[in-house]
Amino acid sequence: MRAVGLFWLSLRIGAMNALQYRADFFIQLAQSTIGLGTALAGVAIVFGQTDELGGWRRDELVALIGVFVMVGGLVGVVIRPSMERLMEGVRLGTLDFTLTKPVDAQLLVSVRQVDIWRLMDVALGAAILVFAIAQLGGRVGLAAAAAFAVMLLAGLAIVYSFLLVLATLAFWLVRIENILVIFASMYEAGRWPVGIYPAWLRVALTLLVPVAFAVTIPVESLIGRLEPTTLAGTILLAACFLVVSRWFWRLGLSRYTGASA
Amino acid sequence: MAIDDRSPAILVRELRKTYAVPEREPGLRAALGSLVRRRTRQVEAVAGISFHVSPGEIVGFLGPNGAGKTTTLKVLSGLLHPTAGEVRSLGHVPWQRDPAFLRRMTLIMGQRNQLAWDIPVIDSFELNRAIFGVPRDEYRQRLTELTDLLELGELMRKPVRNLSLGERMKCEFAGSLLHRPEVLFLDEPTIGLDVTMQRRIRAFIAEYNSRTGATTLLTSHYMADVEALCRRVVVIHHGTLLYDGDLTGLVARFSPHKSITIDLEDGGEGLGERIPALVGPPEWIVSHAEGRLTLRVPRSETARLTTRLLANLPVRDVIVDEPPIDEIIDLVFAGRAGPAEVPPA
Repeated sequence: MRAVGLFWLSLRIGAMNALQYRADFFIQLAQSTIGLGTALAGVAIVFGQTDELGGWRRDELVALIGVFVMVGGLVGVVIRPSMERLMEGVRLGTLDFTLTKPVDAQLLVSVRQVDIWRLMDVALGAAILVFAIAQLGGRVGLAAAAAFAVMLLAGLAIVYSFLLVLATLAFWLVRIENILVIFASMYEAGRWPVGIYPAWLRVALTLLVPVAFAVTIPVESLIGRLEPTTLAGTILLAACFLVVSRWFWRLGLSRYTGASA
Repeated sequence: MAIDDRSPAILVRELRKTYAVPEREPGLRAALGSLVRRRTRQVEAVAGISFHVSPGEIVGFLGPNGAGKTTTLKVLSGLLHPTAGEVRSLGHVPWQRDPAFLRRMTLIMGQRNQLAWDIPVIDSFELNRAIFGVPRDEYRQRLTELTDLLELGELMRKPVRNLSLGERMKCEFAGSLLHRPEVLFLDEPTIGLDVTMQRRIRAFIAEYNSRTGATTLLTSHYMADVEALCRRVVVIHHGTLLYDGDLTGLVARFSPHKSITIDLEDGGEGLGERIPALVGPPEWIVSHAEGRLTLRVPRSETARLTTRLLANLPVRDVIVDEPPIDEIIDLVFAGRAGPAEVPPA
């Protein structure tokens, strides 16, 4: 509840900040459209040649693209900018003032910075997803939709924890601005189902950088292809990720030295 | 102020804080080497200091750059975990960052700003209101009070980036006090401000203290701040405590000299020869011109010499005074005076 309230405040502040610089709106609009266009064009080209890709049909892949864009947007709206601000705060010592607030510090740093223009990706991705579900017709039942929602949340929790751990490394390494790029570049691979990749890459996308959990698994649950064990396992894993990342964050925080005034 | 028998608002016992600082030789080779093996050196920023502050007190926390003042303030406000020692702020262990503690304190740093850069000041205030969970009617009332005291007026509608340093500092103060903290940690709140604005901020701190009874720990390099606000000072140097007591006591303890100024009758005509003989050591005489004699004399000799001069010279007026506080602080910081060298007066 507190998280939602703080996120809403950050969103308002972010909007007030962002609305002063209108050019960003058009840049983001172009970027989102191009990103989505390329992804859909990729699907169109593949299915010009074949009816199936690693067991996935066209509408299923369109749903995947929708989720890919939507999750990318959600990460871009709040998680990534907040983590970048956290790392900057550790390096410059501006984290000081965050720590003087009577709110859980992890919560506060996680929603502190908002890039509202990325909401465009969330909206576009959601629209594509709805379109794809309509195409899939009666195949998506209530149970599947519920499973999808749960898996989407679990996937976001896993990605969030992963990024928090990366950002928390700043307490030891101080200057690691590019570390989040690891995630951004690996995330690009998420526009295709991880099942189509060679085994080593599949493992990397699942265990090393948890892109599979953010995109492929939620969509698999939507189209009823997910084993109940995977579903349960993913929930458990998400819980573990949250616990471990919180522990790691606290460890990092105890090492915080601030920048000298 | 009444004698306070409540438990101290701030308690520091044997506080230590050590930083690991990366260290390497200059040059590219050493830089490459440090990729493989990082050498660090332990720097003791605070080396075992103890003091306490009673509720409602304003205490000046003094020391040269790098003495450990900011580190101590950051430990007290919960930002840093100390290496060793016991610390309580309002009865809480600060670095546990209990919200109940954080809601009752504030940290203001003159060299940093915490208001959001691009949005109007009032929106930043609103953000703080929400974070601290201040009820709306209380918020409105405090905002009105702070706006009057600091004369914020039109400033609140401007984005922070369009404010001057002085205006920004006033807004920082207002934003940091909306939750009406009981303890204020002020780290050089007047740094870089012009004299008028310094005086305004100073008056405001005094007013806030008398209205709310807030305990205040203040660091400043401007002795005018300290003289105006703090009856008591804590002086640290190289992470250790040099002095804790009245500002006047600091002067007595650390200044080995007093100054004596004597105005002579008739401009001191014909006394030129006798004066050096009466005074004694020539280095005691700072100046002697137009009937005014200025001396700088060891504290222990002051009374004897004054008596001798009064008895032997046609004195119209005499002033025995402490040297300016700036001068004393300078002596303390430069390590040219210390409790070991000068016995307490």
